[in-house]
Amino acid sequence: MILEFLQSLSEMQLVGELTVLSLLIGGIIMAGGVIIAKIAKLLFHKYYAPSLPKDTAQNISKLIYFGILVISFLGFTSSQGIDLSGIMVAGGIFAVVIGFATQSVVSNLISGLFLIVEKPAKHGDTIELPDMGISGTLLDIGTFSSKIRKFDGTVTRIPNEKFFTSNIRSLTLSTVRRADATVGISYESDIDNAISVMKHEILHTMPFILQIPEPEFRIDELGDSSVNIHVFVWHPRDDWSNAQPILLNTLKRALDKSGIEIPFPQRVIWSGKD
Amino acid sequence: MKIMDIDSDAPLSNYGLYDLESDLELFLPNTVIKFHRISDNAFSYFRKNSEGKIVEKIIPVKSQNLKIELAPIRPLNHPARRTNHMFLQFDKEIYLSENSAASIFVHCPIEIGIFLVHDSNHDSLDWITCNPLNSRFGLYGSPDTGTLCKYAKVSLATDYSDSNSYLEGVMQIIVENTLSFGQSISKIVFQITDNSLYYQDSKTIIDGIKITMKKRAAVNIADVKTTVLETDWSMSPTWEDKTASTHMEMGLE
Repeated sequence: MILEFLQSLSEMQLVGELTVLSLLIGGIIMAGGVIIAKIAKLLFHKYYAPSLPKDTAQNISKLIYFGILVISFLGFTSSQGIDLSGIMVAGGIFAVVIGFATQSVVSNLISGLFLIVEKPAKHGDTIELPDMGISGTLLDIGTFSSKIRKFDGTVTRIPNEKFFTSNIRSLTLSTVRRADATVGISYESDIDNAISVMKHEILHTMPFILQIPEPEFRIDELGDSSVNIHVFVWHPRDDWSNAQPILLNTLKRALDKSGIEIPFPQRVIWSGKD
Repeated sequence: MKIMDIDSDAPLSNYGLYDLESDLELFLPNTVIKFHRISDNAFSYFRKNSEGKIVEKIIPVKSQNLKIELAPIRPLNHPARRTNHMFLQFDKEIYLSENSAASIFVHCPIEIGIFLVHDSNHDSLDWITCNPLNSRFGLYGSPDTGTLCKYAKVSLATDYSDSNSYLEGVMQIIVENTLSFGQSISKIVFQITDNSLYYQDSKTIIDGIKITMKKRAAVNIADVKTTVLETDWSMSPTWEDKTASTHMEMGLE
């Protein structure tokens, strides 16, 4: 019964030598290929990806998935008796036409490949794209676009072409990073004493600030109302949130404890009569 | 930073194994640790440290034969685990003339680990530092290529018995200068994960290091190797905070 049914399918020709049966076999090969690709990807993610760097794991995962799909497609074409050399010639002409029509898509694809090869940043890096005013954590470099999770939790998709041609500032490439803040003290205050109390407070209350190199203090400006001191401190690259946001608070606390005045803007007004 | 006093009259607990049958209190400088049996199969854990931070945990137990081990551990976890390297800055420089060798003892900061011991397994329960002010980071080298280290200013010790209880262990450093000129040593940087710690009562000693200053081609280098101690003191279990590298599949924390 089944054999007769298959026999009838093999006799039903669609185009040229293409029969319903060969098309069915081809469909089964493609479907099997997709299922095997998904299973292989799933197993890879479960058993091997956790021990690899995330971007390497993602690239290998894509390679496995699309590799199996390509092999399945080749199996499909050979099962249909399709001669790929003919398609190659036709495809070449077709590709020129499509290439003009889909310039940006191809450009994004090529840029994505270059990004994967060059690796200006990897998955999980904190980066800033100054040209676009975007900063956050790089989530993925995909086939056509990359995704960045901004610090407010939203995810921005950036076409690979734009990402590739942008200036990329990596905030996690160096072992340490520098935080800074400017604080003003009154002209009556002893500058050396102010620096001493600020340094003591930083080194004693901010455990993530590096002792070597020591915090650095520069007299930035003799301002209208205050002597402005620029403070630079170094911290481990992943601990920005334990340094920059609390630095100014620490400096103010140190100055308050020592009774050193942080002056308000002042203006001396002379009347015409005087 | 204000170091709070916690029952300063209580005698301090020694390192070692403690039976956990019902309630247990351990006292360390500025730190108190309390275990309390809340049911047949569970204990509560309470710790108040020198910075006033309170940690509380519930410990479900299966085994009746439960012990706690208090032991010194490598100083890599406070305020957070970021490196395997230690940067010791000596309070006095050591000068070695050409083709000479010296053996010195230095203090090295430690942290204290609390381990749950059951059926010969050691599970790390918690860790503390009794001197957070001496638990800081430093950079050896330039910001772009340097090595991030735990940093401490340390003094020379007289011998292994000169350990500062609960705060610093003693390690031996053998320095050999095979160069054709004298050399001053004011700091050492090494990977401390290769060094084991040993304890007795409240004292700690640490595996030593041997530094050989030599010429390799046109470059003068310091070759640093760990020297394993032969001692009858108890060896500390190993414990480092690996939270950052732990893979979580279902948000298990």
